[in-house]
Amino acid sequence: MDEDAAPSLRKSPSVASLRSVGSAGAPVPASAWLSWDILPSEWDILCLSTALKFLLFPAYRSTDFEVHRNWLAITHTLPISKWYYDTTSEWTLDYPPFFAYFEKLLSIPAFLIDPQIVDLNNLNYDAWSVIAYQRTTVILTELVLGAVLLKFIRGSIEPSIQRIVSASIFLHPGFLIVDHIHFQYNGFMYGILLWSILMARNGNKLASGILFAILLNFKHIYMYLAPAYFVYLLRAFCFSPTGHIHIKNFLSLANSVIAVFVVSLGPFALMGQIPQLLSRLFPFTRGLNHAYWAPNFWALVTAADRVLLKYAQMTGAEFAINESGVASSSRGLVGDTVFAVLPNVKPAHTFVITVVFQLVWLVKLWRNPTYKSFLTALTLSGWTSFLFGWHVHEKAVLLVLIPLRQVGSASRLLAAERQAYFRTFLLASVAGVFSLFPLIFNPTESIIKVVYSTIWIAAVYIPLSRRVYEYPKSVIYVIMDALEKVYLAGFPLLLLFVTAFRLFQQQPSVSGASTARGMCVATDPLNLSCTEVQHETNATAVSAMEFLPLMATSIYCAVGLVWSFLRLGFIYLHEETYQGQLTEIK
Amino acid sequence: MDELSVLPPEGSWKRSARVRTSSLNPRYAYTNPSPSSTRAESPFRPNSLSSNTNGIQSDTPLILAPTPQRHLIESSASQRWLNTPPMSATSSRPSSPQAAFSQSSAYPTTRIRRRLSSNHTRSFSALLAAEKSEQVPVLPSLRGGLHRVSGRGLEPEETGGGRRWIRWMHKRGIKTWVVPGVIAGAALLKFAIGLGSYSGQNTPPMFGDYEAQRHWMELTIHLPMNQWYTYDLPYWGLDYPPLTAYISWLCGIVAHFINPSWVGLDNSRGIETPESKFFMRMTVIACDALVYVPALVMFAHTWQGSRSKRTQELSLLTLILQPALLLVDCGHFQYNSVMLGFTILALNFFAKGQDLIGAAFFVLSLGFKQMALYYAPAFGSYLLAKCLYLGPTKGGQLFVRLALVTASTFLLLFLPWLSTSASLSTIMQPVTRIFPFARGLFEDKVSNFWCASNVIFKWKTWASSASLVKTSTALTALGFLPAVAGLLRSGITHMTKSELRDEKDSEGKQHTPFLPLLPYALLTSSMSFFLFSFQVHEKTILLPLLPVTLLLSGAPIDSAAYSWGALVNNVAVFSMWPLLKRDGLGLQYIATLLLWNRVIGYSPFKLPVKSFVQLLSMGVYAAAILLHILESIVHPPARYPDLFPVLNVLISTPVFFLTWSWSIKCGMEVGWALGGLGNQSHSPPVLDAKEVEDVGGVTAQGTGVLIPPSNTTLSYRQAGGRTVSLGRAQSSGGSSSKATASTSPADLFEGSGSMGGGGEAD
Repeated sequence: MDEDAAPSLRKSPSVASLRSVGSAGAPVPASAWLSWDILPSEWDILCLSTALKFLLFPAYRSTDFEVHRNWLAITHTLPISKWYYDTTSEWTLDYPPFFAYFEKLLSIPAFLIDPQIVDLNNLNYDAWSVIAYQRTTVILTELVLGAVLLKFIRGSIEPSIQRIVSASIFLHPGFLIVDHIHFQYNGFMYGILLWSILMARNGNKLASGILFAILLNFKHIYMYLAPAYFVYLLRAFCFSPTGHIHIKNFLSLANSVIAVFVVSLGPFALMGQIPQLLSRLFPFTRGLNHAYWAPNFWALVTAADRVLLKYAQMTGAEFAINESGVASSSRGLVGDTVFAVLPNVKPAHTFVITVVFQLVWLVKLWRNPTYKSFLTALTLSGWTSFLFGWHVHEKAVLLVLIPLRQVGSASRLLAAERQAYFRTFLLASVAGVFSLFPLIFNPTESIIKVVYSTIWIAAVYIPLSRRVYEYPKSVIYVIMDALEKVYLAGFPLLLLFVTAFRLFQQQPSVSGASTARGMCVATDPLNLSCTEVQHETNATAVSAMEFLPLMATSIYCAVGLVWSFLRLGFIYLHEETYQGQLTEIK
Repeated sequence: MDELSVLPPEGSWKRSARVRTSSLNPRYAYTNPSPSSTRAESPFRPNSLSSNTNGIQSDTPLILAPTPQRHLIESSASQRWLNTPPMSATSSRPSSPQAAFSQSSAYPTTRIRRRLSSNHTRSFSALLAAEKSEQVPVLPSLRGGLHRVSGRGLEPEETGGGRRWIRWMHKRGIKTWVVPGVIAGAALLKFAIGLGSYSGQNTPPMFGDYEAQRHWMELTIHLPMNQWYTYDLPYWGLDYPPLTAYISWLCGIVAHFINPSWVGLDNSRGIETPESKFFMRMTVIACDALVYVPALVMFAHTWQGSRSKRTQELSLLTLILQPALLLVDCGHFQYNSVMLGFTILALNFFAKGQDLIGAAFFVLSLGFKQMALYYAPAFGSYLLAKCLYLGPTKGGQLFVRLALVTASTFLLLFLPWLSTSASLSTIMQPVTRIFPFARGLFEDKVSNFWCASNVIFKWKTWASSASLVKTSTALTALGFLPAVAGLLRSGITHMTKSELRDEKDSEGKQHTPFLPLLPYALLTSSMSFFLFSFQVHEKTILLPLLPVTLLLSGAPIDSAAYSWGALVNNVAVFSMWPLLKRDGLGLQYIATLLLWNRVIGYSPFKLPVKSFVQLLSMGVYAAAILLHILESIVHPPARYPDLFPVLNVLISTPVFFLTWSWSIKCGMEVGWALGGLGNQSHSPPVLDAKEVEDVGGVTAQGTGVLIPPSNTTLSYRQAGGRTVSLGRAQSSGGSSSKATASTSPADLFEGSGSMGGGGEAD
């Protein structure tokens, strides 16, 4: 809104960044939140996506569905003091209190619709009523995301680009796969996150901080993003540009955040349940890799270990082979990953690596606390945790993809800069979305996820690619460009391989019990319970290669995600001097 | 065009312009040797000339303009050209400067008129361009509220998500991706609908249509052909024509290759594994992609070929998302899209003048599902009319060829039964299986005449089955008679003129002038079958829906074809509600309806205000919503367990009746327009008074007419002619009605055709 008023002043990146420090000056008046003025095309998108989501009601549901139903039952039937102690179901409540309150709220209409939904002992209830109800709540709460994205357009510098960006976030295949098929409430959560980011863009940093605190109390996975928030709010809100502390701002922020936590944790603190609550939220019992390796750095390391092991076994080279590692980690069982050749990784190691990388971005953010810089640092911060964290889930990749999508439209970028962001975004999106594919393995849903993601990628790529095309200037760039294209072209082949493998594998297994089955593990750290592929106990005929497609997917996506991470990091660190095409690589 | 440039400005030029421009007509006709256009022109030229020479005074300047190939129901050329309304809401194309000029001429201020006269050469070409693109004119439906053209600000006010999206794609310069996008999106939608349940899921022992189709795959791959139509008939014996059997056989082979247990003889009955369900769903979508989707794409290119690219794409989008077919094929589970696809292909080839290929495709359609017989009267009489039109020699040749092609296609389809055994009973097996006359007047609750009237007259107790068969046949024949008569009459009328044409024109490769009648005839014929014939299923409404949707696709948003088409489509889905509910497809019902109406931008509130069709739509929708609400909260009383289905029938049937009447009315209008009144000796097709009364309420509505382009217009467009798509033909406000009122002799045709020019509608 106010940014629209004087857009033409900004000609250079430095001016742009200066401008966005005071980014958009005054906070949006409260009345603006009431005036919606939704354009017909935005209604179209809402109708289209809602119709599609309706059609997905009968689709496959992971056990997350039962997890959330059980939470409805817990919060509805039990007094608040028993919420974090109940073990009637194996799917115990392990989200922070705000989410529990949220479930409590949802359980009231649920009780009116069908009392059996909130019956604590009615495990694995899957009548049509509960399916329709829970799926509907996902659609409705996702409207928060839609509303925030609309607000992003309204105050945007370049509404035409922001409109595409907003639409593409709202229709993100990640949400479709994880929320509307697999079942979670990510749309709602990311709605709050983007709301907080929107507040930062509008200059209302206090509200931004409060919203993020609220978000943290909904789902603690967002701690991955907390360092960037902390540094940004401290630097840009609590300190003046000259380095003097604004006591008043600092106190108001601190008090607000504390107040949020008191509302959330207060009742449990009074009951002395904080240790129990924390033990539910942070169960440090898991291995380095998740069963299906999340496409992160450790997937690459584990793969390297496997390769070295094979090499050692074949050539007899003298490596110190850890015998327990030989049997480990290729089977995809939940448990600790033990390397056969490489030194084992401890949680402390991952922690140190994560912190070191985070520090790089945070120092940069401290020096340049603009909105755009904040957004990039936020993305990189989440990305670092995703790549180097301990026992990360593949669904956490949304933490990267969603803010990254927003980065491209953060402010008026130079064409060259935009091109680099765009390419980074494309690589990360393709790899990230593809890495979500193994969550869904039923044939019909698989087709939907593939077709939908393809349409989405095309719809995002084709309209924007013309705007951001840049003529190559250096040889290195040409090579890099070619390699990236080859990498992207590999995805259809990978898909083909995975599909063919499944078809091939399915034939012998038809007669017997199905060998692979989606299972979910309740007590995941950071509560992204997810699909596991587990052996049935009697599945003797399963070949050792069963997890090859999963491994291949994971490794291939990890390559893309690590590379685009480096790309974004490079662009970020060279923000001021960046002239396009990563010429400094020379 | 040069002649125009020397016209004196303002005032005095008016009359001379008329004389001059009228002299343009023959010249233009020479440069544009489209037989249909010239022929269509001829009857009116005397009228317009006389109006000029009589010098009827008019405030609006008249330029009689060449009217290349266009539907003459259209208001007279003069009025149309000078009073071009503002860009209609249906046009999404940004206007070129020229078009903007022609637009501005809609305002009868003298200043603008002066501009017109000083710029007329330029405007003439603009008008020509506009004219070219405007091959499918529509009667002005002229309600003041319809000019939703205003807000062209940040986002122009387009009606319908589909239009908006297509416009956006074009403006982004990625229009080549529209058609792939439409097809991929529709495929996604079909997969998503396929997630739902299907007919007869988990209902042993007989299951439903899904099991029938799967069972046919099973028996065709395991049994020799001569047992296909005899094997275990009580359990879903094969009762579709041979092409269905062949396609089942092909699908069965694939299924057997992937997993033999899906189609094991007898022991696979009722198999419902997720994988087999997935496979079956895939076969539907594959057949759809192989037949129906290409047919639709081709339809957009042939029948809508003269329209702008965007309109073609929009019509593809409208057709491909048609909710009723999606629900029945991908939800309930059937292969109707194959039959309908073949029918559309037949239509396309008729439009291209390749009647033999068209006839072969129609036989394929018949050979896939006997239900395509509903179209047979229309297609048959069209081809017969064409034979008449071509004259004795050429027509006779065509007739013989058609007979040969039709018969040989049939023979090919039935060949195995003819060759494997000679006994008559074997040959008759498929035939008796396909036409079950022994199954009663109607099953279930279907929104047709018999079921609806059964509420009052208990037909089954009142008359014997045999007499009912006869009655229903007679009524059906009576129902499609107007369509047949209309086509044949056109054929005969044009035959007399066709003798005058030179030989080049009558190659038979051109479509006939009365081709625009065909969709209406198809509608009349299939709807009359649906309403009156024997043994109709609720799913059969898909057949009348096809021509309605073809007419609707690409029709301007304020045309009658649009309002009726959307209404009938929605009501048809509603009429299948009991079936869909039984199949567990309630969500899919809501989602597809929501999506489709959003895409075409339909809302009963946007229809012509207080017109008959709007009141009807409002009433019907209110009743339908009320019924849904009632059904969800009230249990039907024990005495009337079928209360809600019967109410459903009572709501839907009147709409279908009115649609049938509307199609007859439109058929007559188009027929008149094509044949003209001036040189006609015989009377229009018989229609009893009651029907005329029924129709009366809607005469003021515009009529959307599909006219495939002639070769000339195609080549013009292919040569890159810049056209402006003015999606409508509305007279704008006061100036138009004034013009209409004051030039009544000139517009004699309009009045006599009772075709709702500006004045009538006010």
